[in-house]
Amino acid sequence: MTHDPSHTACLELFEKLSEYLDDELDEQICRQIEAHASTCVACRACLETLRQTVALCRAMRRTEASVPGAFSDRWKEYIRKMASEAMSPHKS
Amino acid sequence: MPNPSDPKIKQDDDFELIQAINAGHTELFPELVSRYERKLYNFGMRMCRDVQDAEDMLQDTFLNVFRYLKDFRYETRFKNWLYRIATSTCLKKRRKSRFAPERELSLDEFLPREEAEIPVQTPAWASLPLDQLLNEELSSIIKESIQSLPENYRLVLVLRDIEGFSTAETAQVLGLTPENIKVRLHRARLFLREKLKDYFSHDA
Ligand SMILES: [Zn+2]
Repeated sequence: MTHDPSHTACLELFEKLSEYLDDELDEQICRQIEAHASTCVACRACLETLRQTVALCRAMRRTEASVPGAFSDRWKEYIRKMASEAMSPHKS
Repeated sequence: MPNPSDPKIKQDDDFELIQAINAGHTELFPELVSRYERKLYNFGMRMCRDVQDAEDMLQDTFLNVFRYLKDFRYETRFKNWLYRIATSTCLKKRRKSRFAPERELSLDEFLPREEAEIPVQTPAWASLPLDQLLNEELSSIIKESIQSLPENYRLVLVLRDIEGFSTAETAQVLGLTPENIKVRLHRARLFLREKLKDYFSHDA
């Protein structure tokens, strides 16, 4: 099947792909998108590459760094001091 | 005084701790800090330029939380309020970046321009399991690509897809409409997808 980039159905789908992936569309529109993607190779590729992009992005959560130790110690001491000073009886 | 029978408040995991701190047990504040310090530091690393900026952001954010916690009324989850403060701290710290100049992304720039750019099949990388795909190299490509997003788009993408906030929550954190969040998120994802397409086409 030939694909025309100015095809209205393709453009409409292109605009809504993220909402589709996030399950933010009415069921009826979801069905239209699925029906179109099942016959249009280009839109299917577009949908699947975007889906994978989002999945990769979400997977970045796994690579969380720790707060650098020296900094953490230094400023936690500061926070502790600040918190205990706020407790002292002469506070307003 | 917030009414603790409000179901919204009961859902907030931090409710009891915040109540205790606001009742005068400020010595418990470091506990609140340790609940979020790591998450927020990583958020800072994604939003700021370097470690120093991320550390400053963390520090300034918690100083502001300490200062204004008494006024927190549970109109949102504490976490959302915290990110709202962190975000405005980030934006204040912003430096003009030559890697990610401020600009608007338009949908048009992500549409295929020529017949040759229109895919004739779904590329292999789009259907591989993440564990097979995501190695250290790709991981750093993704990090760099996120860093190269214009800030307004980066913020939305990081909050939605990495920090895991909903559209409504992200709108609340950033003071924007949900519609606006959706538009920016879609363009930010398309931007990233282009970077990934480039990476995988060189790889092939
Ligand atoms: Zn199509």
